[in-house]
Amino acid sequence: MSLEEPGPDADAAAVARAADEMEALVGEHVRSRDDHLNAPGYVVRPDAVQDVLGTLREEANLDHLSCVTAQEYEDRYESIYHLKSYDDPTHEASVVVPTPKDDPRSESAAPVFRTADWHEREAYDLVGVEYEDHPDLRRILLPETWQGHPLSLDYDQERPQIVPLREHANPLEDDQEGDEGETMYLNIGPHHPATHGVLHLKTTLDGEQVIDVDPDIGYLHRCEEQLCQKSTYRYQIMPYPDRWDYISAGLLNEWAYARAIEDMADIEVPEYAQVIRTMGAELCRIAAHMLAVGTFALDVYGDFTAIFMYAVRDREKVQNILEDLTGQRLMFNYFRLGGVVWDLPDPREEFFESIRDFLDHLPGSLEEYHDLISANEILQVRTVDTGVLPPEVAKSYGATGPVARGSGVDYDLRRDDPYGYYDELDWDVVTEDGMDNYSRLLVRLREVEESAKIIEQCVDLLEDWPTDDRTIQSNVPRTIRPDDDTEVYRAVEAAKGELGIYMRSDGTEQPARFKIRSPCFSNLQTLPEMSNGEYIPDLVASLGSLDIVLGEVDR
Amino acid sequence: MSDSAPDRFRSDPTQVETDTRDARISGTDDRFNSKLRQAFGASPFILTKFDQFMNWVRGSSMFMLQFGIACCSIEMMHTYAVKHDLDRFGAGVPRASPRQADVIIVPGTIVSKFAPRMKRVYDQMPEPKFVVGMGSCTISGGPFQEGYNVVKGAEEVIPVDIHVPGCPPRPEALIYGVAKLQERIATGESSPVVVKPYELEEFGDLDRDEVVDQLAEEIDEDDLVMRYNWADSP
Amino acid sequence: MTGGDVVLQTTNATNATGAGVSRPPSAPLADSIAGMLGLDGVVGAVVGGLIGAFLIANVMLTTTAIAGPWAKRKITASFTDRIAVNRVGPFGLLIIVADSVRLLSKELIVPDGVDRPAWDLAPIVITFSALIGFAVIPFGSGLQLADPETGVVFVFAAASIASVGVVMAGYASNNKYSLLGGLRAIASNIAYEIPLIVTAASVVIFAGTLQMSEIVAVQRQPLVTVAGVTIPQWFAIVNPFAFALFTLANLAEIGRNPFDLPEAPTEIVAGFQTEYSSVYFVLLYLGEFIHIFLGGAIAATLFLGGPAGPVLPGFVWFYVKMWAFFLFTQWARSAVPRLRIDQFLDAGWKGMLVLSFANLALTAILVGVIV
Ligand code: SF4
Repeated sequence: MSLEEPGPDADAAAVARAADEMEALVGEHVRSRDDHLNAPGYVVRPDAVQDVLGTLREEANLDHLSCVTAQEYEDRYESIYHLKSYDDPTHEASVVVPTPKDDPRSESAAPVFRTADWHEREAYDLVGVEYEDHPDLRRILLPETWQGHPLSLDYDQERPQIVPLREHANPLEDDQEGDEGETMYLNIGPHHPATHGVLHLKTTLDGEQVIDVDPDIGYLHRCEEQLCQKSTYRYQIMPYPDRWDYISAGLLNEWAYARAIEDMADIEVPEYAQVIRTMGAELCRIAAHMLAVGTFALDVYGDFTAIFMYAVRDREKVQNILEDLTGQRLMFNYFRLGGVVWDLPDPREEFFESIRDFLDHLPGSLEEYHDLISANEILQVRTVDTGVLPPEVAKSYGATGPVARGSGVDYDLRRDDPYGYYDELDWDVVTEDGMDNYSRLLVRLREVEESAKIIEQCVDLLEDWPTDDRTIQSNVPRTIRPDDDTEVYRAVEAAKGELGIYMRSDGTEQPARFKIRSPCFSNLQTLPEMSNGEYIPDLVASLGSLDIVLGEVDR
Repeated sequence: MSDSAPDRFRSDPTQVETDTRDARISGTDDRFNSKLRQAFGASPFILTKFDQFMNWVRGSSMFMLQFGIACCSIEMMHTYAVKHDLDRFGAGVPRASPRQADVIIVPGTIVSKFAPRMKRVYDQMPEPKFVVGMGSCTISGGPFQEGYNVVKGAEEVIPVDIHVPGCPPRPEALIYGVAKLQERIATGESSPVVVKPYELEEFGDLDRDEVVDQLAEEIDEDDLVMRYNWADSP
Repeated sequence: MTGGDVVLQTTNATNATGAGVSRPPSAPLADSIAGMLGLDGVVGAVVGGLIGAFLIANVMLTTTAIAGPWAKRKITASFTDRIAVNRVGPFGLLIIVADSVRLLSKELIVPDGVDRPAWDLAPIVITFSALIGFAVIPFGSGLQLADPETGVVFVFAAASIASVGVVMAGYASNNKYSLLGGLRAIASNIAYEIPLIVTAASVVIFAGTLQMSEIVAVQRQPLVTVAGVTIPQWFAIVNPFAFALFTLANLAEIGRNPFDLPEAPTEIVAGFQTEYSSVYFVLLYLGEFIHIFLGGAIAATLFLGGPAGPVLPGFVWFYVKMWAFFLFTQWARSAVPRLRIDQFLDAGWKGMLVLSFANLALTAILVGVIV
């Protein structure tokens, strides 16, 4: 990936220096080094997790707990904390916490990073590592009566299970006894028009006011990680990313996997393919944001109104272009390791014409959205200063993407950790300082403009691309077997935020551990923070403004 | 897991009962027949005409349940919206409450945790109700069939009238599916239904086995539960 | 719909006698029908009233039948660049038959734990409260069932019975979403009924009467004549401010966007209707639409000169005005976001109420000074 890392030598040296400095900070706890491809890895004792993470956050400015991966080896369990810095995402470190097989217990990171709460619950649920000090270690994705931990080595999939259907299970019942006034417990979802899929919100109401909301997820847990671990790197994994964030963001997700495996197996991507990738990905982003805006309007307006329909109309246009490019409307499966599967469709002029046509009309439709939505007084009354998410809170929950940028956190991997062709192009990262539902809406609308800019430049580049230099795929071997025990964590900026992949190879054609860091999973965690004390309609609007996709939350 | 467990699961379809299912398995599905017809026993001319009229009515207009599960629901939304506009066929009114819906389009992967809820939503719909399974996931589990948590098709849980294959099916395909469903209803055909192993049962009614014993403390006797058995479903 | 006719009839009779204390009972439509049949006296009143009620109720039910399954879809579709029903019959018109028969023929689910008589009565109350309101509406061309002196009061009283129905439905359904919807309905009705009626009172001050036909008659007088065109004294023209207030409060009263909080899909599923299926749902659905038309009818009578209009007969004009109001509600539904409950109540108590009283006081002063 020469494109992505200008001056690899100097870079590597700087990284190594930084890694040693960090090691010095937490030296007393570090037992050994277990470096990953992009990040130094420090192996620490299970009881020093909070210390180490706390120090790294304060002293080394690693304030973004991007992901927690748990996995089981033949001889031990391991939890990996992937740390990054919001200011500079290339400044990374991993904290590796091995725990013995017979007593997989380790200290929880939840007191340091609030986002660790759910991540550790997931690790407990799927792998079976237990975290001491964790505020609420329950299953998160699987039904609470599930037996066994499916990603552990000795899990028996053939075993029958029993799933309960409990109604009105009020988690707060005990806390409420002393409360003044009456509260009412309300199940919102998993089948409810406002949850955009199968999310279940356990809500406690005081009149119309929300006093507590507890998202209950896992109604779409499709075992994506397990399936990727059972598939080969070269061909079989690529279709799955399309189905994580299924709101037309397929190419963005495919890129996450492509980036990780290309780093891991050292695959070059021809420049021409990078431009095509960039263009396709931004088209996807427009489509995804359009739907986000449409459904947000649906939530606030309360019916399948004009805005929703207009948004879908614009999506249809994007989908037509993407269909011309990839052959599918939604599940593209267009990226390949080292490039893309085929060149732009013939005749090229017509294809470019259709894109330009779309881009020409886009400002007009954006104008229309602004007239209908963002300039509407009632909508402003409804959304300004509701669902407030201060930047510090957003950071401690690991929020990324438009949610973080709507809170003024200037974090965009396309610029900060450049990949593809982004650093050669001229565009801006959009942030808003409002921290509320309205700014998240604005961020999305403005990001559509930026994406259009990028696409336009890509089209210009592609039009003039010399005919004899149109390599769409580099030479990649038929089977890929990365070296044993190579570990990599790589992320891209997907439609909803930082979409990261952690992979560990074991010398075979299939990854030994495949972990997806989904932006929605982290973003959804901020919901209680945003909506406690607000009214039900604001809860619904905040949920809409988070723009979660359950396929990605549950994976 | 003991070897006999799978057998125990599939056996005894008599133990769990739902009228709809039994009616459809035994071929005495009377969803299309009026009460009058039942009373008269035969089919005199006027009632036949009446039945035809009712079939036409049910085939011409239907309210859909606003129900989204996974990726396919995105294409389902496109089907409702501009360009494809399912409402042209009189089938484009999404109702949020299952009590007011006639057709449930199942758009996506069903996993163990969701299956009981979906069953519940289906049960809440008033008869006559129809199910359109959208996407490979509702046929077989689709790309996720191998997953430890995935129900291999909607038919395991509820009876499906029309399957629309594809991953996801294009909106045109879904429209075709709905149009086909309307056609079938209008001609009075009903669909054959396979036996579904997954039912909502009271926990206390389950056969005692290893799993049940383990969970006995966690689940109340009268809680509704659904068995999930990855290996056993077809 | 025979039940409705009976109810209507009874009410008319009551009203007729009530008004008869000071004046001979005036029931124009009933009288003319009786006249046509050559009956008079009590028999004439009863038969005429019955047939008249049957007529009016059927006109309204047909109107809603067109509006609900067909016109609403077509209107919404044209707002959203779609086509909507076009396969069943010409322009999809037969969908009306199909939809209503299908809904009526569905299974009626009575959920566990509903509060039986209340749950069953609620849809009936909601629908027929709206129908009763039409008893005093002057459709023009002599189509008016009864014309009591207290027509305005009667029509508002009848229309607001619906909120009782909504609360019954919400409370009896044994569903928390319904309950929330019911509570919202009470809150909105209390907050917006007062401005609605106070604004209507300003019209009453202008007209100096509570009788519907008189109010219409007053509006027939010319306001100004510009270049040979006479502009009648419609209260919407005399006092556009009051008209705007009234229209807003009316939207809230009938629970349409931006005030459709009691139903509010995407927040509370379908509000008070969540648990209703089949016949009851049809009744609720009908009730909702009849209410919109009743709202339109009141607005037309009080502010838009009732059946007045050039060339076409009065009845047609009145009909057009009601449909215009319906179109307006559908337009609002497609384009205006819903308010939050607290903002909604704030706007009601702090905005509308104050404005409507200001309007009333101003009108009173003006009328006092001029007259
Ligand atoms: S069939 Fe394909 S598109 Fe549809 S839900 Fe399943 S995986 Fe998603």
